Amino acid sequence: MKLNLSVKNKRDFLLVTLLFTILGGIYILFRLFAFQGEASVANVYYGNSNDPIVSIDFVNYRVIRNYDQNVPADYNQGYPIIDEANQTITLLGDYELDGTRQIVVIQYNFGAKSVQIIQEQSPNNICSREGVSTAWPLICLPNRIRVEFETNAEDFTV
Amino acid sequence: MIQSAKLRKMTLLANFMAIAIVLNIIEAAIPIIPVPGAKLGFANIITLIILYVYSFKDSLIITLLRVVLVAILSGRLLGVTFYMSFSGAVFATLAMGFFKHLNYFGFVGVSTLGSIFHAFGQIAAGIFVIGSTAVIAYLPIMLFLSIPAGALTGIIAQRFYIIWQSWHNEIS
Repeated sequence: MKLNLSVKNKRDFLLVTLLFTILGGIYILFRLFAFQGEASVANVYYGNSNDPIVSIDFVNYRVIRNYDQNVPADYNQGYPIIDEANQTITLLGDYELDGTRQIVVIQYNFGAKSVQIIQEQSPNNICSREGVSTAWPLICLPNRIRVEFETNAEDFTV
Repeated sequence: MIQSAKLRKMTLLANFMAIAIVLNIIEAAIPIIPVPGAKLGFANIITLIILYVYSFKDSLIITLLRVVLVAILSGRLLGVTFYMSFSGAVFATLAMGFFKHLNYFGFVGVSTLGSIFHAFGQIAAGIFVIGSTAVIAYLPIMLFLSIPAGALTGIIAQRFYIIWQSWHNEIS
């Protein structure tokens, strides 16, 4: 039993070291080479829909509102709100605080061809902590809002 | 005798579940890693311990009940995060049951492989919830982080199991 345990411990150690090296390598390669290139369009999606609710066109400097968000009547406000002066897009997220759904504010920058989530409510604030992005998808999972980029370089996103 | 053994098992499983729920809630309150659903997974220690002390079936039942109870207690039942943790827990427990059955790796190996499958399970649920494969962007970091997390929970579970066995032998 004692011997058996130490043999297994040795295998465990090898397995963990091997996995750590391989997956660490994959992570570094992924971070370096995936989602690179200059974005031509950034699409904002809500829910599990594959039609972008808002498209940010970095080539023609336009923000296109494709359709309205389906918001319950008691919110008396239509979404998305596109603020051209502050370069922000406001959507209603799925995350609720005291039974009220919270807004998600997305800021875009035509010059830098970048997008940033500047305001959202969620347990870990993952998507706003991601900061400014030029190609990396921004996913606010508890809010079910995401920003994906269409880049000119080879697309790794499938 | 059989009756008292059953009673003992039931009491211990109830205690294990209570510990797992507390660990899960404490851990959720402390955000450490800026990645969706990434945490150390201390509740997984209990899943692993039950897997070795009792059986795969007990472990799966207790783990799934724990996920549902934590979701109810934190008011997130049937929310996005619930689907992700449920799917992750199912993947991880199935994987750990399988690798334990193989009897090739010890606690740390089984736990690490389980936590890798946990990441796959969460991403699978994420793809379903958001309807886009963009969530895969987070898979490499989650897989990478799951290794130290899985190894750590494995070490803790192994320590517990060694003490448990000596204690158990004293009783019987």
